[in-house]
Amino acid sequence: MYTLIHAVLGYLFMTLMMRILKRRPGAQLTPFEFVLVFLVGGVIILATVGDDRSITNCYGGVIAICLMHRLINRAKLKWPRFADLVDGKPIVLLANGQWQAYSMKQAHIDDNDVMAAARGKNVRNLDGIKYAVLERNGGISIIKKSS
Amino acid sequence: MPAIHDTRPIEDSVPKINDELAVGSDLQFQQRWEKLESIIWIFLFIFLLLSLAGLFGRGPLSNVTAQAPDASMQVDYERFERFSTPSVLTVRVNPASIKNGQLQLWVSDSLVKPLGNQRVIPQPERSELGAGGITYTFPAFESSASIEFQMQPSAIGKSELKMRIPGNSELDLNIYVMP
Repeated sequence: MYTLIHAVLGYLFMTLMMRILKRRPGAQLTPFEFVLVFLVGGVIILATVGDDRSITNCYGGVIAICLMHRLINRAKLKWPRFADLVDGKPIVLLANGQWQAYSMKQAHIDDNDVMAAARGKNVRNLDGIKYAVLERNGGISIIKKSS
Repeated sequence: MPAIHDTRPIEDSVPKINDELAVGSDLQFQQRWEKLESIIWIFLFIFLLLSLAGLFGRGPLSNVTAQAPDASMQVDYERFERFSTPSVLTVRVNPASIKNGQLQLWVSDSLVKPLGNQRVIPQPERSELGAGGITYTFPAFESSASIEFQMQPSAIGKSELKMRIPGNSELDLNIYVMP
């Protein structure tokens, strides 16, 4: 029973921690973020499964986490405000040739991050970008200037 | 099974910027979230400080030494323990409490449950159940002696642990087990 409670609490706690970490790991994993994912994952698993290494305990934990994921997803679809709290909203980083300095600072994103995303879209320099948007999944969308 | 025709018309449900790009960004929401985030970080920081201080176990605030009113024994223990985590409680006995080469120590049954006593060092010669606890008998010489209880709490919350050397005054300890 403890594993199930720990899994649910762990899921909620990790959701909060990932949400307040600004850049969500997953979309753009740098070595720095790899450390975060593996270390945090390793630490939380200890409290979740405890010293019970049985299949029953392990499967129970996995089911509880998946169930939480499904519940949160349903809640997000039902209440858009809740979705905003869990996932945040897209953030405009660059619009019409102007960096959105406040948003970039809050999102912990710099010019290099935007340019890295731009290169992936075959944009050679910042002048070629009309809009850059930090999406809810952590990726940066680039809208090119029309030639 | 009937076909499902559940459709809805496309509306401008995603707010635009500069009236051309549907992004759904919201600067006001962003600012409010920043404030909330700062408050959450303050709480997390306070949690870390309290944790370092030992309020959740394993730190200066947690390590305590208590003495029986008649000084028959001293106990070093952790006031804040952690659920299912090993800890040690050490009883230091006044040599005057040793009689006829024997030392007797009565401990309330909360030592076993919920505090989860795993081991007693040194091993007692005898353990007897009764009077709401266990009386341990150790062979002892007339010099100071220490007894160690290795515990692993099995329940969360406050536990009262009572200890007494028969014929001496009782020592009451409050131990809080953290999740």
